[in-house]
Amino acid sequence: MIEAIGLTKTFKLYRKPSDRLLESLLRKPRHRRHTALQEISFKVEHGETLGILGRNGAGKSTLLKLLMGVLLPDRGELRLSGKLTGLLELGTGFDIGLTGLQNIERNGRLLGMSSQEIGERREAIIDFSELGDYIAEPLRTYSSGMIMRLAFSIAIHADPACFLVDEALSVGDAHFQQKCIRRIKAFREGGGSLIFVSHDLNAIKMLCDRAIVLEQGRIVAAGTPEAAVNDYNRLIADLDDEPMAMRAGTEQHHGYGNLALEITRGELKGDGSGSEIVSAGELVCVRLQINAHRDIDDFTLGMLIRDRFGQDVFGTNSHFLQYPLSARAGECQTVELRFPMNLAPGQYTLTAALHSAHNHLQDCYHWCDNLIRFEVAGIIGPVFYGVARLEPQITTVSPARPTEPV
Amino acid sequence: MNLALILQFTRQDLVDRYAGSVLGGLWTFIQPLVNMLVFILVFSQIMGARLPEISGSFSYSVYLIAGLLGWIAFASTLTRTTTAFIDKAHLITKVRLALWGLPLSIVLSDSIVFLISLGFFLGFLLLIEHPISLHYLWIPLIFALQQCFAYALGMVLAILGVFLRDIRELVTVVLQLWFWLTPIVYVFSIIPESLRPWLQFNPMFPVIDAYHSVVLLNANPKPQGLVLLAAITALLFALGRWLFIRLERDIRDLI
Repeated sequence: MIEAIGLTKTFKLYRKPSDRLLESLLRKPRHRRHTALQEISFKVEHGETLGILGRNGAGKSTLLKLLMGVLLPDRGELRLSGKLTGLLELGTGFDIGLTGLQNIERNGRLLGMSSQEIGERREAIIDFSELGDYIAEPLRTYSSGMIMRLAFSIAIHADPACFLVDEALSVGDAHFQQKCIRRIKAFREGGGSLIFVSHDLNAIKMLCDRAIVLEQGRIVAAGTPEAAVNDYNRLIADLDDEPMAMRAGTEQHHGYGNLALEITRGELKGDGSGSEIVSAGELVCVRLQINAHRDIDDFTLGMLIRDRFGQDVFGTNSHFLQYPLSARAGECQTVELRFPMNLAPGQYTLTAALHSAHNHLQDCYHWCDNLIRFEVAGIIGPVFYGVARLEPQITTVSPARPTEPV
Repeated sequence: MNLALILQFTRQDLVDRYAGSVLGGLWTFIQPLVNMLVFILVFSQIMGARLPEISGSFSYSVYLIAGLLGWIAFASTLTRTTTAFIDKAHLITKVRLALWGLPLSIVLSDSIVFLISLGFFLGFLLLIEHPISLHYLWIPLIFALQQCFAYALGMVLAILGVFLRDIRELVTVVLQLWFWLTPIVYVFSIIPESLRPWLQFNPMFPVIDAYHSVVLLNANPKPQGLVLLAAITALLFALGRWLFIRLERDIRDLI
């Protein structure tokens, strides 16, 4: 259990080191104050996972350092039951001249494990890291991935009552990451509390029971992970000069084509989230504004979703959907596509195009690559992996019965 | 105060730094041994130095080493304690470490090196049939006082040194001067009469003088200087503690 009550932290910024000395001697302040955290209060119960969201500079790392005792607060109180292990950095204290075994001792002790605990868990740590015989080799022979695996393995076996993790989860390949997630889940089921700071909105939604949003040192939102992620996005959107839905063709000319028809605005919004960060399975609405400079009797509006590698994931157009579109010169219309976003979590772009007939090879009016950027974070309904949700139905065709003797 | 962690840092100082080398921890013994051999051979055999008061071809070497072993430990502890926080900054900013007891590993590792050197020295003394008496039991006590002084002074400087990084360079320079202001390489009798009273302001003088009393004269050390040093150490300790309580938050912010 962790409880923070009114934690406040200000840093004094001096232009020169001598200013600090002058201030103590002359008793006149010569510093600027930067308030990193103000009146931070929250509670994390046994077995609970709290996510902390915030932009860079919002105070997340400072808060973690306060919770760990690396920094001391100006005001406020911290109540802990049991040991707390923080993971601000993997492999603190690692010496690359020493072997993996020796470094388990070093790092383990810095993380708060006693000699007895290290002895008891050494086998498990080596096992989890999958380093095998390499554990007796000096760290200088390891790849960076191996060092990360060892570091994470030691950390995950520190077995505190409460774990603080600062964006250090993305180590190793998919197999190792899954092991780590399983171990963390086992930790939580054992009653351990977890505080998780990350920019990975999907991880926040998947792992946390509750989440808070920090902005400029204050808690500006707190609640379920979904609500917190939405609040966070709203925060970013409000503060950006250019919202994620870009206006095509205004200042920077995106796309190409003869522009007889023009996409002037594109927007993707989830019904639940109200933003372009949606959950898998959420109903989304893609809204495109089209200006016509000529009379066009029959045109096609197309949409193409690409993943972060640029692979085409899903594309269709109004011709395939058998939806006729036409326009008169000087008119402006808005067309909407609604569908459930049954894609796996990740970053995506949406490309929109206007052309004649069923592909753009004849007459391409306007093709806007990557008009909209959006993200799928979190899954509504059963978990799935890969690219898309195929929604299988599962039934037992022949019930279990003992096999016939040969 | 995590004892296991202190012991680990001490082992890092003495053993781990030689990781990957063939001789490994043996190097901790080799350096003091070679040091001693150099002093003995160069000064007694090659330079033929003699003490005016005491006879014997090794008398100067014995005089020199008696003072030098203690001084080496003192200088090392003081210098390293002064930079203890800065040197361990990469750990202090990432994991929770108790700052007050952190330099204890420095005192411990320097003490172990002193004990090794002392062992070799005693062996040498037995070899040249230099009289060793029960007075030698004073040596650990004198050493303990000296190390407490180094630690207390070092802590004050370490705290201030986080804010004024110049202090690290200052300590190196001051120690150089301090060495020559203490009769380690030369004998007390060559100091002119007019300057002798000033020697009582040198806190290390009673310590070195005590080593000389025990090893060369087989006598008890003079108590006044040592008692005064103990008082100074206690004051420095209190000062360090007061500074630490007021400044720990700023130290952690700045480091």
